[in-house]
Amino acid sequence: MATSQEILEALADYQVQCNENKRLRKMQRDWSKLLHFTADDTKDEFTMDVVKGEIVSFRAGAEGAPDIIVSAKSEDLCDMFWGDLNPSQKYLQGEIRVKASQEDVVRLDAITMIIWPDA
Amino acid sequence: MGELKKVLKLRTIISTSAGMAIATSCYLAGIQVATILVGELAWISILLAGFLCLLSSMCFSELTSLYPTAAGIKLYIQHAFNERTSIIIGMFYVVLGIAMVGAESYLLASVLSGTFVLFDPFYDKLFWMLAFILLVVFINLRGVYITGVMQDILTYVMVGFMIAVSVYTFATHEVNLAVAVQNTKFTLSSVIQAAGVGVFLYVGYEWVAPLAEETTDYRLIGKGMMWAIGLLSVTYALFITAMYTGLTREQLAGGTPIPHIVFGGNLFGTAGTVTFIGMSILASVTSFNSGLLNTSRFSYAMGRDNVLPRIFSRLHPKYATPWVAILFLGALAIAISLATLLTGKYLFLILMAAALECFIYVVAALCVIRLRRKNPDTVRAFKIPLGYTVPVFVIIVFTGLMIGIFADVSRDYAGNEIFRNYWVAVIMGAFMILTALYAIVVVPFLKKKAEERSRARVKRRPGRADA
Repeated sequence: MATSQEILEALADYQVQCNENKRLRKMQRDWSKLLHFTADDTKDEFTMDVVKGEIVSFRAGAEGAPDIIVSAKSEDLCDMFWGDLNPSQKYLQGEIRVKASQEDVVRLDAITMIIWPDA
Repeated sequence: MGELKKVLKLRTIISTSAGMAIATSCYLAGIQVATILVGELAWISILLAGFLCLLSSMCFSELTSLYPTAAGIKLYIQHAFNERTSIIIGMFYVVLGIAMVGAESYLLASVLSGTFVLFDPFYDKLFWMLAFILLVVFINLRGVYITGVMQDILTYVMVGFMIAVSVYTFATHEVNLAVAVQNTKFTLSSVIQAAGVGVFLYVGYEWVAPLAEETTDYRLIGKGMMWAIGLLSVTYALFITAMYTGLTREQLAGGTPIPHIVFGGNLFGTAGTVTFIGMSILASVTSFNSGLLNTSRFSYAMGRDNVLPRIFSRLHPKYATPWVAILFLGALAIAISLATLLTGKYLFLILMAAALECFIYVVAALCVIRLRRKNPDTVRAFKIPLGYTVPVFVIIVFTGLMIGIFADVSRDYAGNEIFRNYWVAVIMGAFMILTALYAIVVVPFLKKKAEERSRARVKRRPGRADA
């Protein structure tokens, strides 16, 4: 199980990777969403604020009404943020669950695909 | 866990489900139902097909409540059987589903070429077919989504229009049911046979399942599907019977591919023709657009899962849409449409789509049974009552309907043979073998390559570099 601190560290790296990727920023330039991530096993929750493709903040806890809710095991969340896991594969196995519109599901997956295409 | 800011309402789930089923080809399929049976009694087979689809929707409801995800179809086949089976059936279902566009684009092109003459009938049809497919491909590439409100307006306007026209027709034309029931064609066998083709009228209602991720209560998807089938049953039963009544014997015998346009002209003259053309365009664009949206997302996911070549997971740099998948499916739709234009066998595709739906309903029912046995204790937001009765009934009935479609001979209104339907089974069987070969030979190769790439990649998570 990944601790809340480990996931926050992974999120910090994820934020840097996303915000520094010009291709991703261009693709997501109109994408402003509030995301909630929930670790099923530890019940930890996290909030991420994306404004025009830029991750402006993230924090522990679920705040505000989200546009997207992602639920998975804490280890999978941590691996996903570090880019060590292909979220699509886990999604197709039913191990990562997303509540969002189909467009947002693709856009969320696009982040990993563009930053870490070989994940 | 918080609740989503925007969630879909039952109203939109119904309109999406029904909207996917309403297409230009449905009018022709309806006339085919009327031809097999007795026109004035077509509603019996349409309602029967609707009832059977309602039972199949219960299977999809239970499965969606177990796997409320856009990847549902792959997921529940995989959990019920295995990954290879899910790949074979998933690809078979998705790619063959696109084949329906061949019939849809041909019929829409027939509608438009009959009204707007540009060159000659052949090239006009070719022009409109390409224009229709390219328009929808462009909409998908740009990532233009039909909002829930827009879908509500489109579907409910179309349904309201069809019902209003039907009521008007019954008020102005005589429908002699007493004579119709005396017709020798009115037998139990022809009622069931026509219901098999009637299944086509509901094709695509289950594609609303991916919207489960946008709802608060997964049971809404099941409810929405059932309401949509109910709405479609009533609408089609009224409209197809009215359309048959509103066409002359000569028009029916002429075998027109656009009976609804001719019917509109008979009722209201030019205004009727124009209005029905407008409805046709709306129905075709919305149903193909939803179809391409779903199938391209499915292909994208397959590319990301290394089931299809990785090129399928390419996203448009500006619109974040899976452009390779969209273009591939668009090209496939054009190829099938051209084949339809050259052969004129649009009815072949309609029957193939009906048989494909019967097949997928059987698969869904089998999945319900297998998953209940494998995971009896898993909580289901919706569970079909009466134990295995409904799934077993669905398996028996839809297998029977599918065999009935294959065993039949397609005829025009005058009774002349068009083709023997076992060719539909031959084509479907050949495609199934191709997808099976792909899953057995190509997919392991793609997976192995992906595994090698993944292994060569250094893990980034601290402490996992050597993992």
